[in-house]
Amino acid sequence: MNLELAILVLVVVTAIGFDFTNGFHDTGNAMATSIATGALQPRTAVLLSAVLNLVGAFLSVQVALTVTNAVVKIQDKSGMPKAQFLADNGHLLLLIVFCGLIGGIFWNLLTWLLGLPSSSSHALFGGLVGSTIAALGFGGVNWAGDGTKLDGILGKVVLPALASPVVAAIVSMIGTWIVYRVTEGVADRYRETGFRWGQIGTASLVSLAHGTNDAQKTMGVITLALIGYGSWHHTTSIPLWVKVVCAGAIALGTYTGGWRIIRTLGKGLVEIDSPQGMAAEASSAAVILASSHLGFALSTTHVATGSILGTGLGRRGAEVRWGVALRMVVAWLVTLPAAALVGAAMYGIANGLSGVAGGWLGPFVVFAMLLAMAGYLVARSRRTPIGAHNVNDDWDTGLGPTPAPSTSA
Amino acid sequence: MLQLFLAATAQVLVVSIIVGAGLPGVFALGVRWMAAGAGGDAETSHAAARPACTALAVLCFALVLAVIAAGLAILISSGLGYTVSFDHVLPTFMKKG
Repeated sequence: MNLELAILVLVVVTAIGFDFTNGFHDTGNAMATSIATGALQPRTAVLLSAVLNLVGAFLSVQVALTVTNAVVKIQDKSGMPKAQFLADNGHLLLLIVFCGLIGGIFWNLLTWLLGLPSSSSHALFGGLVGSTIAALGFGGVNWAGDGTKLDGILGKVVLPALASPVVAAIVSMIGTWIVYRVTEGVADRYRETGFRWGQIGTASLVSLAHGTNDAQKTMGVITLALIGYGSWHHTTSIPLWVKVVCAGAIALGTYTGGWRIIRTLGKGLVEIDSPQGMAAEASSAAVILASSHLGFALSTTHVATGSILGTGLGRRGAEVRWGVALRMVVAWLVTLPAAALVGAAMYGIANGLSGVAGGWLGPFVVFAMLLAMAGYLVARSRRTPIGAHNVNDDWDTGLGPTPAPSTSA
Repeated sequence: MLQLFLAATAQVLVVSIIVGAGLPGVFALGVRWMAAGAGGDAETSHAAARPACTALAVLCFALVLAVIAAGLAILISSGLGYTVSFDHVLPTFMKKG
């Protein structure tokens, strides 16, 4: 076994791990409202969402091979790695992708521990940006594209992140207002039961959309690594096993349920009833589908959060916990730089050790650090376990992920 | 860049308001008329049942289902490399490219 093959294996394992965290981090985007209103039992909700993510992942036949092009310059337009990365069986490319993925996983796990929904794509992008800067310098980053279309960190990360929560909040605020206006005179219990169905339907749509969008990204990253190593040569298709494994990982992650995040979204931000839940999910589904249809992809997480916030604004007397909302916004702002720092540090360590043991030590040390960090964060989460049994408990009992906000930075 | 961004955002906002706020609105109308059709305890006024309203409610729910089906069509077709056009009101599928 040569060194690059070993790194390739580490990249694939890490990418699958990232896909898994992507799944459980985002369960709440679709299902938090249905769980909070009791439209679905917690276990049923995550199962439904997992199945729809699985189906969604298989539906996406299109190849998201150019996923890294949004933020870094390591591939050309067709998705082929640039020529300089193909030397040494793609050693440099594999290392950049590997360290970027670690940055993404780190941020996903930390925000999960803190119960904060943050964008998995931004975490992945952040990690890649960091490892690319460490490897190639600032010139390796696609800051703003060439200005002719929305591209680069500015056009694909920063601006959409500003727009999505606002757009989603406006839509769901209007939807919520309409819904309560129209159903005036309907008995509460009758209304609640009726809207549960609408809620389940719209939440399912969000889950499916998530599967089609997000699983593709990891598939693209793994295929890129395979091409870099030289064991795959097509830019228009991906190996079947990559598709199967990624679909499985995101579905399994979804089924695991990021309960801490579900709790924050369903109970922490706003106390919601079924009509609000439906308005929120309809808004999320519409914004996600409309934006990706118009080629202006928005983060599912930011959209879902904005939608839930909007239902609180659209209903008279509903309380929005602005403190919780503020913590989320801080997390969003920090996502890219934080993941980038970790990605860069990991690359620095792996590269710094490149002279030791013929270069074998670096990647394994970095991988060991990932495992240790993940183990630590999971162990920390056990101190205040949140699961299907207590996800809906009263927010003000202080249960769960509410350590001092300063630790989130 | 800023101009492109504002244009894209405005576009998404308009489409989303029509679909994303309109859909729950139609669903709400369905619930409203369903309650009117059922009468009695379904309404705060405890009015008598008006069966004709049930038919209107069914119509609303059918419309909601149709819109969700259109959403599914967009999702599935974009996964398969197609795009759905609403230029002629009725959705038509076109190869991307």
